[in-house]
Amino acid sequence: MLVIQNLLLRRGSWQRRYDLQVEPSSIVTIQGRSGAGKSALLAAIAGFESVVDGDIQWQGQSLLPLAIEQRPVSMLFQEHNLFEHLSIAQNLKLGLKFSSEAARQTAIQAAAERLEISAYLRKRPSELSGGQRQRVALLRTLLRPEPIILLDEPFAELDAYTRELAAWWVRETAKAVQKTVLLVTHQHEDVERLADQNLIFE
Amino acid sequence: MLVTAWAFYGLGSLAEGRLSWTVFTDPYIHRILGFSLKQAALSATIAVLLALPVARALYYLPELVGKSTFLALCLLCFVLPTLVLITGLVALLGSSGWLTPYLGKSWSLYGMQGILLAHLFLNSPFAIRAFYLQLQALPASSWLLARQLKLSSWQQWTLLEWPQLRARLLTVWVFIFVLCFNSFAVVLSLGGGPQATTLEVAIYQALKYDFNIPEALSLAWLQLLIAGSLYLLMTRFGSSGWLSADTAKLQFLPIPPRWQARLHQLSYYLAWVVLLLPLLALIPNLLQINAERFSKLTIMKPLLTTLSLGVTAAGLAVLLALLILSPIRKARLEYQTRKQWLLDGLANHHLVMPAMVLSVGLYVWCLKHLNLETWGMAFVVLVNTLGLVPFAIQQLKPRLFQFDDQYQHLAQQLKLNTLIYWHVLLPWLARDLQAAFLLCLLLAMGDVAIFSIFANDSWISLPWLIYSYAGSYRIVEASVLSFLFLLICAVLVFWLEKIKNQ
Repeated sequence: MLVIQNLLLRRGSWQRRYDLQVEPSSIVTIQGRSGAGKSALLAAIAGFESVVDGDIQWQGQSLLPLAIEQRPVSMLFQEHNLFEHLSIAQNLKLGLKFSSEAARQTAIQAAAERLEISAYLRKRPSELSGGQRQRVALLRTLLRPEPIILLDEPFAELDAYTRELAAWWVRETAKAVQKTVLLVTHQHEDVERLADQNLIFE
Repeated sequence: MLVTAWAFYGLGSLAEGRLSWTVFTDPYIHRILGFSLKQAALSATIAVLLALPVARALYYLPELVGKSTFLALCLLCFVLPTLVLITGLVALLGSSGWLTPYLGKSWSLYGMQGILLAHLFLNSPFAIRAFYLQLQALPASSWLLARQLKLSSWQQWTLLEWPQLRARLLTVWVFIFVLCFNSFAVVLSLGGGPQATTLEVAIYQALKYDFNIPEALSLAWLQLLIAGSLYLLMTRFGSSGWLSADTAKLQFLPIPPRWQARLHQLSYYLAWVVLLLPLLALIPNLLQINAERFSKLTIMKPLLTTLSLGVTAAGLAVLLALLILSPIRKARLEYQTRKQWLLDGLANHHLVMPAMVLSVGLYVWCLKHLNLETWGMAFVVLVNTLGLVPFAIQQLKPRLFQFDDQYQHLAQQLKLNTLIYWHVLLPWLARDLQAAFLLCLLLAMGDVAIFSIFANDSWISLPWLIYSYAGSYRIVEASVLSFLFLLICAVLVFWLEKIKNQ
């Protein structure tokens, strides 16, 4: 279980307290107005935001003493998820752990076909549209071995069709490999398609 | 830093820790100091003043013929081996120069005027590029607003151009001042005796001719103190970008009135002529050399010596810059501003640390402990490498900082190990590594100061050979070698520009 206990975050004059619990293998969507502290919470769990007070625990163990690299977290940022100078295939290799090269190739190919991006694997990120890039980054984030998945507005650049496609793929994949997902979104249909639990930050 | 300490230890041990205090009260040294400061201040001021109209011409007239070649020529002039320029100036304005008959009987290239001319030729192009790039950074939206508000030319200057250029003016001035203050080959060749000499040359003379170590040590400290203070001032006000790609943002740029456009064209074409003249002056001398004289020239060995020294020093400098930048990037990512500033200062201190001081310090240490016949070359490479590190850092730092800003979180998130991290980083840096290497190679190949200390008769570099010919008034031979050297540098510069503009 992911437990956020009396967590206090502060940026200048802005501050916010968080208290919540997330069941393992569940999908939680987070909504709220801009500046409500949604992205700040994800950044704190991943280790990019310093914590003033409180604790973040995963399976009974505090994450706070752990460096970013040691946390059981895979995160999708709002931007800069791909190295622009590497091909899509090279980008997709990073951070993945599979028993063999063949297993990795099979998993990537299957996911890429589902997300309709398999034709772009040899291209560079700059040759792709915003929506295509976002699906590539989403694919890698979900295929990584970490149990906690943090998605910061993952469908923001997608049209209605690919948004639905991506949302179902996220749910299916997360459930199949028992990931715990926190997903920030502004769209209510994402909540309907994905959420086991929805949080609204005021 | 260790090598710097080593050099001062070398000087200090031979002087038995004694500084020659009489140096500070000696009127001769006062005169040298006064001359060093005066020539550096004049060189920097005139270079900046001459560069401004040319930079504005480049900015306001984007369709100028041969603009990209001119920018490449500017780079070539800045990195040009000093001896090549000096040979060109002597061929043009020396006692039997092409233009000398038109300059009156009192004209002499030697002394303040020669030093100023050479410094202006070497440094104005640097200022032109720096100002031009600074003007290009003006956002298109500012011009959109300025034109919408129908601002006059004067208002455009005071409200847009001047605020954009102001900070850069000072840093460029200080940078050129420090370069001229530490100038060696120009002053040695065109100084014309004790009336026109600088601290750098005085240190060389104190050592090579008088073997007066306490005096050399005192002069070294004095030089370091002045150049160091100015460097601190410069870092306080930021850095000078001048090698970035030409990123034309021409949207909404106002079209200058006809008379202004003419004026811009005039300064641009005049700059072309001024920069080309000393280089073209080498050509007539080439025609004077016959097969017999040419066959007596030993080109291959000095050329190979210069190339191998340059390649080794440039390669090492780039590698060292990458290593030195690691803790600086770490401090920046951790928002440790003071630590970053301190590390930056340490990394760049060789920019103001006169090569002569470093060379001499190591030289006197070597005299006691090593055989210079065997180790001289290694020390030439070492001191050149250290002098090049700041230039390599300047090339690599912005791109590495950009990588950190864009990808540091991603790299941490993906938990990349060191090997994979470098595997990702190096392709990102590839072009900048090549550019840094080429720039360092160009600068290293022209070295005379360091070579003059450690060199011996068994190996000789191309600039040193040119210096020997020019010093013995064999200007035809010097011209042939200079032209060859110029061609090699031009190829490297155009290659560098190509990489930068890719």
